[in-house]
Amino acid sequence: MVAGGLWSVRLVGVMGAHLVRKYATETDTEPDPAKKFEFDPQFGFAERKEREMIATQEQMNLAQLPLEQRDYCAHYLLKLMKCKRDNWPNFLACKHERHDWDYCEHQDYVMRMKEYERERRLQLRKKRIEAQAQAA
Amino acid sequence: MRTSEYVKQQQPVNMAGVGFRRWAQALSKGKGSGISALLSGCRAASGMSKDSLPGPYPKTPEERAAAAKKYNMRVEDYEPYPDNGEGFGDYPKLPERSQQERDPWYQWDHPDLRRNWGEPMHWDFDMYIRNRVDTSPSPVPWSTMCKQLFGFIGFMLFMFYVGEKFPAYQPVAPKQYPFNDLYLEKGGDPEKQAEEVKHYEI
Repeated sequence: MVAGGLWSVRLVGVMGAHLVRKYATETDTEPDPAKKFEFDPQFGFAERKEREMIATQEQMNLAQLPLEQRDYCAHYLLKLMKCKRDNWPNFLACKHERHDWDYCEHQDYVMRMKEYERERRLQLRKKRIEAQAQAA
Repeated sequence: MRTSEYVKQQQPVNMAGVGFRRWAQALSKGKGSGISALLSGCRAASGMSKDSLPGPYPKTPEERAAAAKKYNMRVEDYEPYPDNGEGFGDYPKLPERSQQERDPWYQWDHPDLRRNWGEPMHWDFDMYIRNRVDTSPSPVPWSTMCKQLFGFIGFMLFMFYVGEKFPAYQPVAPKQYPFNDLYLEKGGDPEKQAEEVKHYEI
């Protein structure tokens, strides 16, 4: 019961809680996406797997992809573009390819959220350690 | 009117010929010399005669009465512009009100101009027509309108400023791009070695 109460306190301001933290409650620890994150990517991990880029630069150049779309999901996008080109005028044809690309982009977004959260927790940890060092 | 041409009732007459002949006769009898003799021949009766044009500032009450009559006004209503060298003469000083303020439902002789025939024209009549300057009262006091408009604009500018100072963003890290953050694609020098940027899964 008590734990449930604590969680409900945490959930006040479900969307935009990070803005409240950034501008009101935790102004010094909340990360700013506009600035570079300061912690070493390997810190806290035994081993991190590098992200794999499947589409090559040449392929992306030939497809004339705009820069914003040349991300780690570009190979799915290239497959989708080929499917659309081959199936025109049936614009309902490429649902599977579109879903694959969308899912890849979704996973990419979830990774971004996790990176933000990692940075936030490391900042809080750093602050706790400093506070302890001061108190000592 | 000269009646030197005697025209039978139903006989058609070439008016151009009549006019030309009268002009030639006027020339032969005319007193002026040169161009003025050629041009001064005949004037239509519908033009302004000299006594209906504006004149000098009226000084005596008789002059005021005559001026009021000239402008089709009552003597009580007639008020000339002050005589301070601005050149208005005896032209009447009418209220500075635009035509838009006049009754739209009254059957004016000229409905678009909202004016009757023979009515004295304001000095700035061409400015006060309905397409141009309008002195109609505003529906709400001017000060209220100003406060509301500038209040709104000021509020919006303030909120945009606040939005710049405290931007709203999603709690996500920046998007990651391959090939050293697209060093070559963004126009980086191919000869130089790009700064190594690695991205990891999480």
